Amino acid sequence: MARKQLEGIWHTSIVVHKDEFFFGSGGISSCSPGGTLLGPPDTVVDVGNTEVTEEIFLEYLSSLGESLFRGEAYNLFEHNCNTFSNEVAQFLTGRKIPSYITDLPSEVLSTPFGQALRPLLDSIQIQPPGGSSVGRPNGQS
Amino acid sequence: MPHIISRTPMMSQSRRPAGVPADGNISPSVIQVIVKTPGHQNSFTVAGDTSVRQFKEKLSAHFKCQMDQLVLVFMGRLLKDHDILSQRGIKDGQTIHVVIKSKNGSRSLAHSFRKLLTNNPCHQDRSTKGNSSGVSQSAGMGQTKEESPLLMESDAPKVGTQGPELDSPEHIAQMLKNLCVQRMLSNMDIMHQLISEHPDMQELLQQNPEISHILENSEILCHTLELARHLSVIQEIMQINQPAQNLEHLQNPQPYLGLETIPNGNNALGQSYDFNNQILNGMQDLLWGNTFTALLAGQVLEQVQTSSQSLPSSSEEQWPRPPAQVIYANSCGLSSITPTNATLSNANHASRENPASVAPKGQSHVCAIQQPAGIPTLPNTAVTQELQEDDKGMAIPVGTSDQGLEGDLQQSGEQTSSQLTGGMIQLLRNYPYMAAQMLLLMNMPQQSEQWRQQSPTSLQSSQLSDLLLALANPKTSQAILQIEHGLQLLATEAPILLPCIEPSLWGLGWLPPFSCVYPDTVPWTLNVSDMAEPECGPQSGTVLQKSQPPSGDPSHSLQASEVRFSKQIEHLQTLGFVNDNANVQALIATDGDTNAAVHKLKKSQES
Repeated sequence: MARKQLEGIWHTSIVVHKDEFFFGSGGISSCSPGGTLLGPPDTVVDVGNTEVTEEIFLEYLSSLGESLFRGEAYNLFEHNCNTFSNEVAQFLTGRKIPSYITDLPSEVLSTPFGQALRPLLDSIQIQPPGGSSVGRPNGQS
Repeated sequence: MPHIISRTPMMSQSRRPAGVPADGNISPSVIQVIVKTPGHQNSFTVAGDTSVRQFKEKLSAHFKCQMDQLVLVFMGRLLKDHDILSQRGIKDGQTIHVVIKSKNGSRSLAHSFRKLLTNNPCHQDRSTKGNSSGVSQSAGMGQTKEESPLLMESDAPKVGTQGPELDSPEHIAQMLKNLCVQRMLSNMDIMHQLISEHPDMQELLQQNPEISHILENSEILCHTLELARHLSVIQEIMQINQPAQNLEHLQNPQPYLGLETIPNGNNALGQSYDFNNQILNGMQDLLWGNTFTALLAGQVLEQVQTSSQSLPSSSEEQWPRPPAQVIYANSCGLSSITPTNATLSNANHASRENPASVAPKGQSHVCAIQQPAGIPTLPNTAVTQELQEDDKGMAIPVGTSDQGLEGDLQQSGEQTSSQLTGGMIQLLRNYPYMAAQMLLLMNMPQQSEQWRQQSPTSLQSSQLSDLLLALANPKTSQAILQIEHGLQLLATEAPILLPCIEPSLWGLGWLPPFSCVYPDTVPWTLNVSDMAEPECGPQSGTVLQKSQPPSGDPSHSLQASEVRFSKQIEHLQTLGFVNDNANVQALIATDGDTNAAVHKLKKSQES
């Protein structure tokens, strides 16, 4: 798992099969590791090993992208890149990502500052440029 | 007895399978597992010693798929059919991930991603579209695009069916009118896929991967469709220009030839890394295609000669100049072939600039071409020299409608610029709507922005406005001032002409915005030449009048139109529309539809 600091909020992505996958307002995207505008990660956490092949993984991502992680489903606090990374990490290895990342939104929201800015923050859509979308070919289910 | 008793548990323990609690107070065989699929989660109660295969049977019944489509993942490990759940350590309450493979897609998807993954690191995406990949270094990117579109909308099925239709120019116009198509046009991804599916484009992408980023520009894609209407014309032009093209800017000449047949080919070759430039290229390409239509009409040479003579003049910045500027924006379309950043914005409105001084970046010839557009006073030779000095190859398409012209372009600057001028004027006459739109939008980028937001359905116009926004630069303000000055003069001298110039007035903020109507601009085009000569200056009027004499394709000349629409003209006259010029233009706009022409003429008269 690769983590990059983005405006104070951790942006995480999953690196598997020599590629980086992340979720943003544009849906699930992928690029080469460190290939987004954010650059190489600040911290890399090894979540584990997986037997899932690339083919299956991409299939899985496509399903995710159509169901749970569509672009419009992005929410900076509750359904963000960390949510995605957590989900994918569990799929790939059975383990979750470190809790201080997934707990960050609730930590922020528990502060008066976070509460006050909640409407604004809810509308923020983050999509690190440099990736390309993950999706299914047309017409196939 | 105690021995027996004590032995029994031990024997029982040894018989129990590993991993099962020794106390055995709960039935070890029934566990509840959570099955997670992408987006869904279910609980299943199964026996612990269930085999994976049996479990899959259950799941396939639940998910209504075939067993071989199921992929079970637990703790990152794939579960094989012969495995036993408990042997893999699956205990009560744990989660098994299930992926349901699509029947055919998994392979292609993986393949597409393999190509994607082998690309160089994604470059920064300079496009405002967040999920585009920016400049790609590998052909795989383009193909990946086509295979991984975000076709999650209901339009997705349409894409496949409409893809092949794009290749047929005669369908395009009809298609573009379809609201659904327009909606699709607004979706960059769909459009991208549509373009990418074109076999020529795929081939092109393989050979020139850097153009893929251009494809991600929705405006360019949109205009590609517009341009595709004249695909055959463009093909002819491109093929004509092919031999003399200077391919030094092209990394691979072959795809360029292929590009000729691709509506977006001209844009694709422009390796512009600037978003505006991309837009510009698209617009240029779009507009240039229309220019070439005129050029191919065969009137270029003669009109060019006459118009070029009239060009060198210090005519005021009346409407001829703005249209010329507009037209030259079109001319840059082909020059956008040059894979360099466009300084089109600089050149487009540099009405009085020395062409040599304009073109800091790669598309110097483009700028040079645009010089005469905005500058009736520009000497043609200077333009030509500029063209020759810079991207010569790209300059070729600008001034060629046949091979003869092509040679002249490189040798005779006069012909080049004059051809351009003639072509531009032809463009204006034939597509006044577009010309007016560009004119207006160029003049008032802010207003065009607002207008675009207010009229989302007017997709093509908004796209034009976007492109023209890209052209906006300090020079634009000069041109705007000049136009406004001219219009003010016109208003004082001949207020009756104001309705004819309504579109441009809107652009300048004089009138509330409205969708430009063909006949409104059309009569404006001609009427000014006829009536506004005193105000516009003799030269501009001369330009127009000289450009009017037919010298070639009758379908593009005014007189020919008059012949064509003679019946309709008579009809209009009986209805009370005595202005022959306006009638003809309205008929041209409505393509002979008398009723629509009447409607348009009425509207123009009222406004």
